Amino acid sequence: MGDVMSEQSSKEGVLANPTRRTVLALGAAAASTVVTIRPALAQTVGSVMNCEIPVPGPEHSGQYIAADGSLVAPGTPGSFAPPARPITGEEAKTLLRGGLTPNGMDSQSAQAYANYIRRLQSGMSGFTCYASLQLPR
Amino acid sequence: MAGPIYIADDQGAVRAVQLDGLTALFHAPSGMTHLVAPPAPQILDALRQGPADARTLLARISAVYEIEEGSAEAIEARLDELEAAGLVRRA
Repeated sequence: MGDVMSEQSSKEGVLANPTRRTVLALGAAAASTVVTIRPALAQTVGSVMNCEIPVPGPEHSGQYIAADGSLVAPGTPGSFAPPARPITGEEAKTLLRGGLTPNGMDSQSAQAYANYIRRLQSGMSGFTCYASLQLPR
Repeated sequence: MAGPIYIADDQGAVRAVQLDGLTALFHAPSGMTHLVAPPAPQILDALRQGPADARTLLARISAVYEIEEGSAEAIEARLDELEAAGLVRRA
């Protein structure tokens, strides 16, 4: 009984004593603490140029794209029919930077497609292609 | 003069796996994986309490950990690395 008491009070002592807290070394100004692993797809420029983003992905084929990029029922007012072909990585890159509209698409629907691409998440068709376009440098 | 304010994505956007002293972080919005060493995970945890500049962040960290003299410059270097990796961004 007495042992339990003294063990508890010594534990409390450790918590209460700031000099016994874990030391966190923030390191030297030059030390690096982050290593980034890039998706294999992005390792060559060619793969970024050649990958394709279907709008929408085959799992949502036939749906229209609203101006904010969400998927809606075909014919919903203010929405756009999907493009006739997938958007290539290179086209997506210039489109997302506010640049050129891909060939054969009008600029309003292209903006809706750009918003769709921005909303892509892991597991959706075209996500890896989109992610590889986001890589710095 | 106050430095830049930094923001970290919330925990739901980053999956973390502990790897024997290192932490692997999968950053879902960018699809990139990062291997980070201390103090990076601790800085990210502190930053998730809310946007902060380097000085505020240092105060949050020193409330939990012992830190060394001269940490102000070091934390700025760590924030630069985390920003370059896309794990934190400026407000």
